[in-house]
Amino acid sequence: MKEQKHCIHKLRCLLLLPLLSTLLSGCWDDRELSELGIASGSAYDWEDNQWKATYQIINPSSGASGMGGGGGGSSSSPPFLTFAVKGKTIIEAIQRTNLTSVRELFTSHSRISILGESVARRGVNQIIDLFLRKQDARDTVYVFIAKGNAGRILDQLMQLTKNQGAGIQLMIEQESKLLSYYPSVRMFELAMALSSESGSAVIPEIRLTGKDIMDETSETGRTDLPSRLVLGRLAVLKGEKMVGWLSQKQAFGLTFITSKIKMANISFATHPQTSDKIDGSFILQKSATTVHPIWAKDHFIMDVNIKGSGVITEIGSAMDLNDRASISQMEKSIENHVLELIENSWQTVKQLNADVTGFAVKIHRSDRKRWKQIKKDKSWDTVFQQIEIRPHVSIKIERMGLSNKSFKSIEQD
Amino acid sequence: MKKKQQAERKKESDPEEKSIPAPLQLNASLEANLQEISKRIGQSSDVVFRRFTNESLSSLSLAFIYIDGLVNSEIINRNLLQPLMETFTLKSDSIATEAAFSMIKDQMLPVGGVKEGQTVESLLGLLFEGYTLILFDGIQRALAADTAGWEKRSINEPTSQGVIRGPKEGFTESMRTGTSMLRRRLKTSDLRIEEYKIGQRTQTGIALVYLNGLASESVLAEIRRRLNSINTDSILESNYIEEFIQDGGLTPFPTMQNTERPDAIAGGILEGQVGIIIDGTPFALLAPSTFFNFFQSSEDYYQRYDISSFLRLIRYSAFFVSMLLPALYIAVTTFHQEMLPTTLLISLAAQREGVPLPALAEALLMELTFDVLREAGVRMPRTIGPAISIVGALVLGQAAVQAGLVSAAMVIVVSFTAISNFVIPSLAIANSIRLIRFAMMLIAASLGLFGIMSSLIVLLIHMAGLRSFGVPYLSPMAPMTPRYLKDIFIRVPLWDMTTRPMTNLGKETRRQASNQKPKPQEDQQQQQNQQGGNSS
Repeated sequence: MKEQKHCIHKLRCLLLLPLLSTLLSGCWDDRELSELGIASGSAYDWEDNQWKATYQIINPSSGASGMGGGGGGSSSSPPFLTFAVKGKTIIEAIQRTNLTSVRELFTSHSRISILGESVARRGVNQIIDLFLRKQDARDTVYVFIAKGNAGRILDQLMQLTKNQGAGIQLMIEQESKLLSYYPSVRMFELAMALSSESGSAVIPEIRLTGKDIMDETSETGRTDLPSRLVLGRLAVLKGEKMVGWLSQKQAFGLTFITSKIKMANISFATHPQTSDKIDGSFILQKSATTVHPIWAKDHFIMDVNIKGSGVITEIGSAMDLNDRASISQMEKSIENHVLELIENSWQTVKQLNADVTGFAVKIHRSDRKRWKQIKKDKSWDTVFQQIEIRPHVSIKIERMGLSNKSFKSIEQD
Repeated sequence: MKKKQQAERKKESDPEEKSIPAPLQLNASLEANLQEISKRIGQSSDVVFRRFTNESLSSLSLAFIYIDGLVNSEIINRNLLQPLMETFTLKSDSIATEAAFSMIKDQMLPVGGVKEGQTVESLLGLLFEGYTLILFDGIQRALAADTAGWEKRSINEPTSQGVIRGPKEGFTESMRTGTSMLRRRLKTSDLRIEEYKIGQRTQTGIALVYLNGLASESVLAEIRRRLNSINTDSILESNYIEEFIQDGGLTPFPTMQNTERPDAIAGGILEGQVGIIIDGTPFALLAPSTFFNFFQSSEDYYQRYDISSFLRLIRYSAFFVSMLLPALYIAVTTFHQEMLPTTLLISLAAQREGVPLPALAEALLMELTFDVLREAGVRMPRTIGPAISIVGALVLGQAAVQAGLVSAAMVIVVSFTAISNFVIPSLAIANSIRLIRFAMMLIAASLGLFGIMSSLIVLLIHMAGLRSFGVPYLSPMAPMTPRYLKDIFIRVPLWDMTTRPMTNLGKETRRQASNQKPKPQEDQQQQQNQQGGNSS
């Protein structure tokens, strides 16, 4: 009996041993914070038949948090450091950072990814695959395109924020929320757009306003930097390759077609009959676009319906807002303005022959049979060229602000 | 088979039991008895022997034995010595010793409790409780008069469990005072007080207090059985009893509550629990107790239900914070940095820049420092107490950070953990998570969040398996009894608490009438009319 009990006791101890050994296996992937190089952004270029990856590493002791720890690091040290490495594959380039960096590259907190035009022209598939595959890569990073060397952009210091990657993220988020010129594009959205029926995508461009790069901390002490980061044009990708640019205005028109307007400002002529002078501002607060494909014997007609409403914020001409007619006149003018934007944008998109409008998706959803045929014939490009759009815009002015007459009419009285 | 073995083992390993002699009957000779008693007691200076003869009772020889300090000498002088030493005239000239004994017992002792004893052991037991022994020459029996009266601490405010609103009296070291306080609160004939004497050398009085009909019979039987099977020589504090009778000897979780507050005991008894008051300590016990009992404070019922419910939730979160916060900090900063907001990560990284220790060592160092300080604060003489808090604040706070030993964030983590630990009303469970916290930190440092999650699951399984005197430890959550949830995570208004929140302990679960929500008079009448209409 006693021995049996003893045996059970021993057996229990034996069973506990493997449990304890699980603890040993645990520590293999632990990393102390001081061993991490926290990347806030990355850029990819294609140079000399090699990938060039540039990383922006946050320098924690620069006081990026506002409070320094015990260790050294003066406030004059830069808030982040960048370095570029080259490799035959992107991962090879990343791994080579360990040749030069003190810390292990940690990309989970990366906010932006900038592609050089060279990469975009060559194809972005490999980069997208990397972001979808690698464990610590985040496919929620915002994607940008830079003309020329993308790595340079990461060197630029920003004001009001020390973490440049997060600053650019804020910039695009604010822009797409308040201005709606460009859509904000995240890596997974890019992947989704490229793999959709349209096979095309857009990426906003980021560029410097000046020639010089502000990359010294002493230089950011100025109030008006000679060179700062700004969103530029919209790059159009077809397949995996970049095929051209849309200007700001064309990009704005595209946002209307793709129904990505959150809030927008439209400048218009208040008296379109008498003068083309742009002297009014309208803030579009709500806008929805519906697109209906209609088969017209030999080609598709896209019925684009835009409904929007908003507030008048600025009137430069004489105007009496008590008069219903003048309001509808302004509404008409805004509508025409939007129509013009859409038309302009559509012409360019057609020229580039890249379906960034997402028409293919609409057709697939509404007319499956014909889509199957198109896919079989691989004739989408020609079908797309023949598409005719019929935009209808209806804008409603909901409020006119605090004054019933424009100041000009008050003055004239 | 097993039982037999246990019994055998008990016999082998218990030399103590054999040495206790069989009870010794009193001798007829007073001289022999006194000799035996003084031999048993030894030359203790506080035992008073007083011999005298009373001429009136045919020169009967008597002896008083009492212990100075345990008796009220005024009672002895006035109620024992005076009537027995007085000369008086008997109806007959001589009286038989036997008759004198019964006369003294029945007529001459103006004292409340008079007991008769026949063995030396029983008399000695009474002697140590403050009785005065009266031995007679020629009789094999003796009398013991209750003359107990010793210095007691007066009733004070409980020091360990203060309240803002509520009764301010606490138990004292006297068991009798304790039972009297409960009697005053529960004026019902159902209140039962059973007394035990446990501990061969201390003979500590233990009172089992419960409400007949409310406390579960099976629980009572179990408690009685366990109390009776205690075989030890000393019980000095309630924890002795607690450790001897509580379930799950190796669990970190307490399965009995302890409190200094008579209102808390009364509240528990009213919910079907059994109170155990132990002589010599102001801390009484309550059993059976579930996990959730430890988060209930008697003040919950002395203030509005909304704030009480809020405080309950705060206590549960404090429980988790106190158990997990350092572990989470370690796990997140060494394994799951991607889970932090970027700005927080950068600021943490900045703080850790100059710190020489890994996060685990840093956390262990700070936690241990805090425990040292806490222990020092408890042991320190009260006058030096403030010095500790200053040293603590300086060492834990500013200095350690400035010296670059630890990061500022870690100081916040440790302080918040410590403060959270004090939010939990029961010290018993607060202490248990103090230990679990260290295990959690080690696991977090090796397995990260995965480790924390798995150990939480293990803890949960362990708790689900625990029982307190037959009651599942996690009831009424597991097994779930929705009806009893009214006093677990929140406290519903008193008028809505129609059933007792304790689980299926007792038979009588309804404690008050329903429909007692206060309403304006018209509404009440209307409702009554309606009800009347329905019933007719």
